[in-house]
Amino acid sequence: MNESREREIIAAFVQLSNELVDDYDVVEMLAQLTASCARLLGISSAGLLLADGADTLHLVASSSERTHHLEVFQLQRDEGPCLDCYREQRAVLTPDLDAETARWPEFCRAAEIVGFRSVHALPMRLKDNVLGTLGLFGDEAGALGEEDLALAQALVHVASVAIVNERSAHDRATVNAQLQHALSSRVVVEQAKGVLAHAGGLEMDVAFTVLRRYSRDHGRKLSDVAGEIVARELPFATVLDHAREGRILP
Amino acid sequence: MTMSLDAIRSELNASLSSAAPGLSTADALCATCVGVLDVDGAAMSVILDGASSGTFGSSNETSRRLDEYQFTFGEGPCLDAVTQGSPVLVPDLEALSERRWPAFRDAVLSDGIRGVFAVPIVVTSECVGALDLYRVRPGPLDDLVLAGAHLAAELATAPLLDLLAEDVAAEAGRQDGAEDDPLTRRDADGGTSEMDRVEVYQATGMLISALDVDADEALLRLRAHAISSGLTATEVARAIIERRLVLDRDDRPGSPGSSRPGGSTP
Repeated sequence: MNESREREIIAAFVQLSNELVDDYDVVEMLAQLTASCARLLGISSAGLLLADGADTLHLVASSSERTHHLEVFQLQRDEGPCLDCYREQRAVLTPDLDAETARWPEFCRAAEIVGFRSVHALPMRLKDNVLGTLGLFGDEAGALGEEDLALAQALVHVASVAIVNERSAHDRATVNAQLQHALSSRVVVEQAKGVLAHAGGLEMDVAFTVLRRYSRDHGRKLSDVAGEIVARELPFATVLDHAREGRILP
Repeated sequence: MTMSLDAIRSELNASLSSAAPGLSTADALCATCVGVLDVDGAAMSVILDGASSGTFGSSNETSRRLDEYQFTFGEGPCLDAVTQGSPVLVPDLEALSERRWPAFRDAVLSDGIRGVFAVPIVVTSECVGALDLYRVRPGPLDDLVLAGAHLAAELATAPLLDLLAEDVAAEAGRQDGAEDDPLTRRDADGGTSEMDRVEVYQATGMLISALDVDADEALLRLRAHAISSGLTATEVARAIIERRLVLDRDDRPGSPGSSRPGGSTP
């Protein structure tokens, strides 16, 4: 392992564990998790799906904003390696999607359109519960190495502890409530991105950066700031101005 | 009968708040239309995909049947009212000049109805349905009744919005197979819950800013546009995100359809 990669891995864990200590925001933490996985594993995209109380998977974070990528992630509510991973509570490794078109026809078609050739789906587990699944999408066929998978799985473990308060992890109802909180935070963050994107004429990923920057610089939770923007309590102009002062925006 | 417009308004309003048990708000409003508008029957339909899609309220069974003729035959004043975004008033279906809806006309005439009056129901400047009034005797509606009909169509947005909101909630909760609701039925086949998508959330946010409305109304607005243009919510959401579709601010009520992509301008 070369030194810079080792540094990156350490940084990824430090980032995640900082989230645990501070008053963390679950959406931001999961966004970081997917970004770290995509970067460290050299894959084209990573997406995290969480299950709600009715065992439906929802996309809560992804390393890519591209709509076709989103489509591939979201399709797996109905079919695909992430759904199987969640249902069977084990890793589903698909080094070559071409071999799986009979198993997941819709999913494979959508994946082909965006150029995904391999998918590795890892369960997000906490004690006896599977909370969701992390999908690692590569644009070339081939299996991820064991070390890479172990690394991704370790990052997911840290994240799962962060989502669900450890003490309540034995209680499925509480776990569901906390997952629900994560899911609704995601909704409001996406809406706030939309507000900023429209108001500032920005792409969604830039809108997210702007939102994140404002939250961090003010020591506030991402989803709280998002909620105020959506409720129109915090004027979007204030947030956009802040980004301009910080030279994120021209 | 002579009532002032104010009296009509308060009767109609009252019907919304005090629907009898077992009677939907939409049914109650239709029943009140019969009482105060000097007509013999009233019904409301919601239109999806430019084709008629369902009667969601009526003053009685006969009116419901009359209204459903349009769905059976795929033609009728209510459908035209929604397409055009303006009222379609037919004082006498038996008039020789009246050749617009032959199958619908014959069916309605054989039920003893001569006059049909359809007024569009507009939700945030999207035309999503119509209020249809039926009268046994021929002749135009007088101005007061016509004004009352417009008022009723405006009030009809409330039960229609409830229907849309239920639809949104049902989809969010994935309560498939919900009752006899044309909107839910339509999406139940879809498999993937239409409203619970990242694109829909992002587009909702864009509409909050673009239309200066709150999140609930932005979502309804997106939904209403999807319904009136025959697209899925996700398709509308993507068009908004990619800036291919701009929805107008709702400062001109009564000017529906102005923002439909590739829409069928009459």
